[in-house]
Amino acid sequence: MLGLNLIPPLVRTALAMLLVGGLIGYVGTAFTTTLVADSGILGGGGESSDAHKYMIALLQRETDSLSQLRPTRDVISRALEQQNASQQASDVKPLSVTYLGGSSSGRISVHIYAVEIQASGGQYQFFPLALTIVGGKVVRVE
Amino acid sequence: MILALFLGGLVSGVLIYAFTDKGADANPYASLPHAAEPAVTADVARALAADDAKGLSNLMDMTVLQQLQTAIEPLTDIRTMKFVGAVEKNGRVLAAYVAGGRTVDGTDVLVGFVLRVTGDQIVGVN
Repeated sequence: MLGLNLIPPLVRTALAMLLVGGLIGYVGTAFTTTLVADSGILGGGGESSDAHKYMIALLQRETDSLSQLRPTRDVISRALEQQNASQQASDVKPLSVTYLGGSSSGRISVHIYAVEIQASGGQYQFFPLALTIVGGKVVRVE
Repeated sequence: MILALFLGGLVSGVLIYAFTDKGADANPYASLPHAAEPAVTADVARALAADDAKGLSNLMDMTVLQQLQTAIEPLTDIRTMKFVGAVEKNGRVLAAYVAGGRTVDGTDVLVGFVLRVTGDQIVGVN
């Protein structure tokens, strides 16, 4: 604090204003861009970044990323999930992932996707996935 | 001068965020173009929103009705119904809806479900 006293009051005030303005600008922009992106006001369709990350992690079988986006679970459930992921056929090829839309109410939001995959043996599948997110965690996948 | 410094800081904050924010990862997969809401699924959505059991029974067979029942669990009292989007591929349409309402114990919930349509007929519910 002694160092601060060496700075002239006018310079101190100027630095403080610059810092406060910078902080407000940074936090305000982060808050606004997240709000706008999730609401779809600017045509982004309202896709939640958590839902987007979950879908990509699901299709790329990134179990660690999936765990981070799900509510905390016990060690056995997580071990079973790892085992499931490693046993899944590795030649499943996602062809397309389309965000259909979503809706939110309070902390709950639902986001729906259409997925096309080429399964093992060349089998084609076209199916929907609905993600329910509560407080940033994916609590239900159908 | 103080106001100018504050505004300068504000602009700097916005610029720093713009340069450091990575944003959401882009979709590495292709996306299908959105389709219009099929008339048959719009009728189902209207019947659900209007609590019209008779109308619903005329629109779907028993198997699909049972799938719909499972899909909207745990919702028992539907208050809102929103069409969120549809896609079409090889004559198969997926029409997505989000229903809002209450469970048996009065908890407010949102449930997403998708009606699968082939040739103007609902063939399944997810």
